[in-house]
Amino acid sequence: MIRLLRPIAVSALVGAFAAAQALPKAETILDRYVEVTGGKAAYEKHTRETMIGTFSLPEQGLTGKLTRYAMAPDKEYSVVELGPLGKIESGMSNGVAWEKSAILGPRVKSGDEKDQAAREARFNSQVEWRKIFPKAETTGSEPVNGEECYKVVVTPPTGKPETRFYSKKSGLLLKSNATAVSQMGEVAVEVEVSDYKNFDGILYPTRSKQKAGTQQMEIAITSLSLDQPIPSEVFELPAEVKTLVDKLSGK
Amino acid sequence: MRVCGRGAFWLVLLAVPALAQLTPDQKQANLASFESVWTTIRDKHWEQNPGGLDWEAIHREYRPKMEATASTEAARAVIREMLGRLKQTHFAIFPAPVYQALDSSQDGDGWPGFEVHVLDGKVIVTEVAQPKTNGEIKLGWEVLQEGLAPLISQLEADPAIHELQLERAVAARLTGPVSAAHVIEFADETNTHVTRLVKLIPPRGEFSGFGNLPPQPVWFESKKLGNTGYIRFNMFLDLMHVMTEFGEAVQKCAHCDGLVIDLRGNPGGIGGMAMGMAGWLVSRPGMRLGTMYMRGATLNFAINPRTEAYGGPVAVLVDGSSASTSEIFAGGLKDLGRARIFGTRTAAAALPSVITRLPNGDGFQYAVANYISEGGKPLEGNGVVPDEEVKLTRETLLAGHDAVVDAALNWIRKQKDTR
Repeated sequence: MIRLLRPIAVSALVGAFAAAQALPKAETILDRYVEVTGGKAAYEKHTRETMIGTFSLPEQGLTGKLTRYAMAPDKEYSVVELGPLGKIESGMSNGVAWEKSAILGPRVKSGDEKDQAAREARFNSQVEWRKIFPKAETTGSEPVNGEECYKVVVTPPTGKPETRFYSKKSGLLLKSNATAVSQMGEVAVEVEVSDYKNFDGILYPTRSKQKAGTQQMEIAITSLSLDQPIPSEVFELPAEVKTLVDKLSGK
Repeated sequence: MRVCGRGAFWLVLLAVPALAQLTPDQKQANLASFESVWTTIRDKHWEQNPGGLDWEAIHREYRPKMEATASTEAARAVIREMLGRLKQTHFAIFPAPVYQALDSSQDGDGWPGFEVHVLDGKVIVTEVAQPKTNGEIKLGWEVLQEGLAPLISQLEADPAIHELQLERAVAARLTGPVSAAHVIEFADETNTHVTRLVKLIPPRGEFSGFGNLPPQPVWFESKKLGNTGYIRFNMFLDLMHVMTEFGEAVQKCAHCDGLVIDLRGNPGGIGGMAMGMAGWLVSRPGMRLGTMYMRGATLNFAINPRTEAYGGPVAVLVDGSSASTSEIFAGGLKDLGRARIFGTRTAAAALPSVITRLPNGDGFQYAVANYISEGGKPLEGNGVVPDEEVKLTRETLLAGHDAVVDAALNWIRKQKDTR
């Protein structure tokens, strides 16, 4: 019996060792993603981005329009116009992360939620991942919709780590598991991205399916333009948010 | 927050003979219904082990019992017993015949121009808008329309039926196509029987849908009662319109002695609207109305204070038909000490629940989340208990008074005197 067990145990150890050895370093995977989607130089050529698409909550039967403007190094403004819910706006500008909706009014984000908004507003965050995530580690491999992927866990200075799944074959990001932070609390969010398309030399995923708790959301990008002029007022704080910022700062 | 109103009962159900010998198809339908109920709870209950139970073991225990049943009533009893093991409300089976009674509103959106409530088993006129009749209809009159009394007896006898559903089923009996004329018999203030030819008018408000929810008529009103603001709306829907009106009404009342928010008869709607409205009444940051627990997510019903939030006394009026988002709003503000609640205990139906139809024709209601109000108690099954219990009575209505509004105004007056 011992003779039978020993080879199995040894082969299991060898297998585990081989598997560990086969995993590339996280930085290799993250840098490869930049390369396969266009390369660092292509990313760094651009400083502005305008994205238009659809946002839907299929289970609720709601569909709306999503528009997002971003500008280097860290300005962002998004608006979702979701039929009966009206406009849901959010932005990050001059160190203020904010949100405004018909239902809840204006709000200034703070703490982990603000830090998360700042990370998301970082232009070319794919290229600058080292500045955003001090720690990145390959933790294994796992299939996503039948495609073998490396699992990479990236950890920001604040907030919870995020697990990303990069295709072994193409190097593209296919899925991520993260924790979304809002005033309503923390919610586990699983995002699957697909339908990569080339925009001015860079491959972007144009579809995403998100599961946040029991809620499902879908985003489809219909147009993405790079380096088109964006009026500067787009990134200005709305009047109600300014009032709130002044109130919070005791002005 | 799912709305549990007339819209939920629009499915037309097939009645199954209750005690007749089951055909193979009926037996199969009952078994399929059992499996549907069991699987739904396994997959959608907010707890991994629903009600703390080993749900697989529950299946092993009840499936043989189900197979042994010889009638639909027996099959229904087995499913109800299984649901009873959860010891949680909002898990109910509506027998097909009762389901039909709830659903048997007249076709059409026309309403008679007056509102009714069931008070002590009688249908009483509680508000008169603009009825087109051949004579006056007054507050406090009793509606004696044929079929209402047996309907009330049938529904009140079923413990699975909420007051909200009873009220809606009764109100539905008075609806029909716009312009249709109904002869309705009343008992007037002297209990003399009088008849009125009532021409049905278009429903109050504007129709508003929300995703898959069928459009519902939504209205909002605000006015001043002396120097007190009074706000009332029939549902937490039509978000853009109702939220804007609510905000404007509160801002107009910045110097009011108090604010009365009347949620009686309001079955709820979009849960987030409760948070948004609370933001007009709470100025301290970091507050919340309560917490919702779903499978895989815990959500705080956080309040986002508006810069122009109202700081004076707030009275919220509720009754047994105030449900869901109404309870979240009233219960949360009560727990925060921000509002005083007047009226009667709410529907205790604060969970987002879904009603579906089972293969055997019965209705199946199940909750998908638990909600704990900020005071630490679930609203589900408990409801919001008013700080001052005040009941509508026929006598006060006949005297032209709304006793609940009067109580709220008295309290606000005392608050002013104290200040």
